[in-house]
Amino acid sequence: MMIPFKKHFSPSRRKVVKWEVLLHDTLFTASLLTTATLLSAAYFLLSRNTTNIAIIYILAIVVIAQNTAGYIPGIVASLFSVTFINLIFTYPFMELNFILDGYPLTFLGMMIISSLTSTLTTHLKEETQISTEREHMLMEAEKEKMRANLLRAISHDLRTPLTGIIGSAAFYLEQGGQMDEARKSQLVKNIAEDAQWLLHMVENLLSVTRINNQTASVQTTTEPLEEVVSSALQQFHKRMPSAKVQVQIPEEFIMLPMDATLIGQVLINLLENAARHSGSSKPSCLSVTTDNAYVWFHIRDYGSGINPDMLDTLFDGYACEPNSSSDSHKGMGIGLSICKTIVNAHHGQIFARNHEDGAEFIFSLPFGEHTYESEINSSDH
Amino acid sequence: MNQRLTAVIIEDEKNISSFIESILASEGYRTFAAFTGTEGLSLITSRCPDIILLDLGLPDMDGIKIIEKVRQFTHTPIIVISARTREEEKVSALDQGADDYITKPFGASELMARIRTALRHSHRDSTLSPVYSCGGLVIDFEKRLVTLDGQVIHLTQIEYKLVSLLARQAGKVLTYDYLMQQIWGPYSDSNNQILRVNMAHIRRKMEKNPAEPEYIFTEIGVGYRMREE
Repeated sequence: MMIPFKKHFSPSRRKVVKWEVLLHDTLFTASLLTTATLLSAAYFLLSRNTTNIAIIYILAIVVIAQNTAGYIPGIVASLFSVTFINLIFTYPFMELNFILDGYPLTFLGMMIISSLTSTLTTHLKEETQISTEREHMLMEAEKEKMRANLLRAISHDLRTPLTGIIGSAAFYLEQGGQMDEARKSQLVKNIAEDAQWLLHMVENLLSVTRINNQTASVQTTTEPLEEVVSSALQQFHKRMPSAKVQVQIPEEFIMLPMDATLIGQVLINLLENAARHSGSSKPSCLSVTTDNAYVWFHIRDYGSGINPDMLDTLFDGYACEPNSSSDSHKGMGIGLSICKTIVNAHHGQIFARNHEDGAEFIFSLPFGEHTYESEINSSDH
Repeated sequence: MNQRLTAVIIEDEKNISSFIESILASEGYRTFAAFTGTEGLSLITSRCPDIILLDLGLPDMDGIKIIEKVRQFTHTPIIVISARTREEEKVSALDQGADDYITKPFGASELMARIRTALRHSHRDSTLSPVYSCGGLVIDFEKRLVTLDGQVIHLTQIEYKLVSLLARQAGKVLTYDYLMQQIWGPYSDSNNQILRVNMAHIRRKMEKNPAEPEYIFTEIGVGYRMREE
């Protein structure tokens, strides 16, 4: 995919950069030339030989051209080098003599080498800059796309129940006089159901605001597992009084660092998901197990299971194809993707799988450093 | 009851206010609605209501301020209406002297239950019933005896104090801070882990499944509430 982009530097920034670059280049060129001259002088004094001196200068020019911006430092350096060589290291010493045999060739060679190297490096630098910028743009575009997808999914999910509410209410107001009681109560029941769903959505979205945007982390307090589970169940039963859940948690007292409201939200979402989508009247099952580092929450239902193609993308929610998922059922997409966001912010994992008689959602929370158990077992560490 | 009970509703959202008014009216209450805090305060002083329903998010003043002002001259029960995710707000309202809170959205039966509980507690401060009884759980405050389905439950001193404190104010949520101060004294540690651990022990003695308690409910981030029949 091509991402259109423009290079944009503000003029003031460019100026500052230029001054700094100029200073750096001048100093760099000067010091390298000095070094080359000193080296050549030492070589010359030791061996009285002038053949390799040009090589030393060429080396310096290549390094200069490579490490400075533009062509000018390299050309300046080759000019200086040619002059130095002529002045100091060729007969007659300490005198300029440009009509020496073969001299124009040396000069031309040095010029060409420095220009070539400069061109090459400048080109390389530009390329790198462009590619980092493009990468940056791509990332931004990806983010933008995700945001747009999320917004689209949210507005879709909000509009569906709202349409129901507005339609039923308007119909009731217009035709209420001619309707029988059963029909009336059916309409109001539909309104209540849709409104509940809306509330659920909004609560989910609100809960995300408790997660820190920059660090994607949450403020945790140490909470007893059983209290979080029980209060989530209470809220779930209030919302779906007919749904049955079997609960099993470890006998021992477990304290966990977490944002209890958020984890409650995850449990409610998953329980509701199990109750709504399993297509079975058999009670779903919430169980909690522990291992050394994690507490694992399992929410099992005994329904039709999950389409295996969807297992991988289930928690991406809004990333799945727009026409296949959300219309048939009021989408659970956002609910699940919010579960993932919350669990990840707690440094836990979440995934789904199928078992023999239905689907199972599993998520984990780390014990963290200061737990009830680690106090007892602290001698192990 | 020959006289109708009076309620003042302070809520800036007209639809919610009228919804609460119609619930209360159908239960035989006389209702007065205020849409701002100032209006509400003047209604409370002029009408001397039996109960106050207060939304904390008002346009002109902080709801907590209203609780403070009202508590300077009357003990009329106040029930705070609050959004779900604002635990700190609930806790500070309770600590300022609100009697209870109800979380938006709520139904008619839930609201009436809260109001009845608050009224009951404000009336029987002096005449405490000597026994709490709910489902299979009976607490005899004079004999300091707790039984579940006829079986005696052995609680430690602190566990009994906690249970009886909750039972005497059954139906009402008691904050962590309030419980800590009542049991461990005013200079108790601000860390409430000891309270949580004791509650866990109580739960293991009194509840069949600690994850689905029947008698003592957790209000996450706020405190505990004992079931009231």
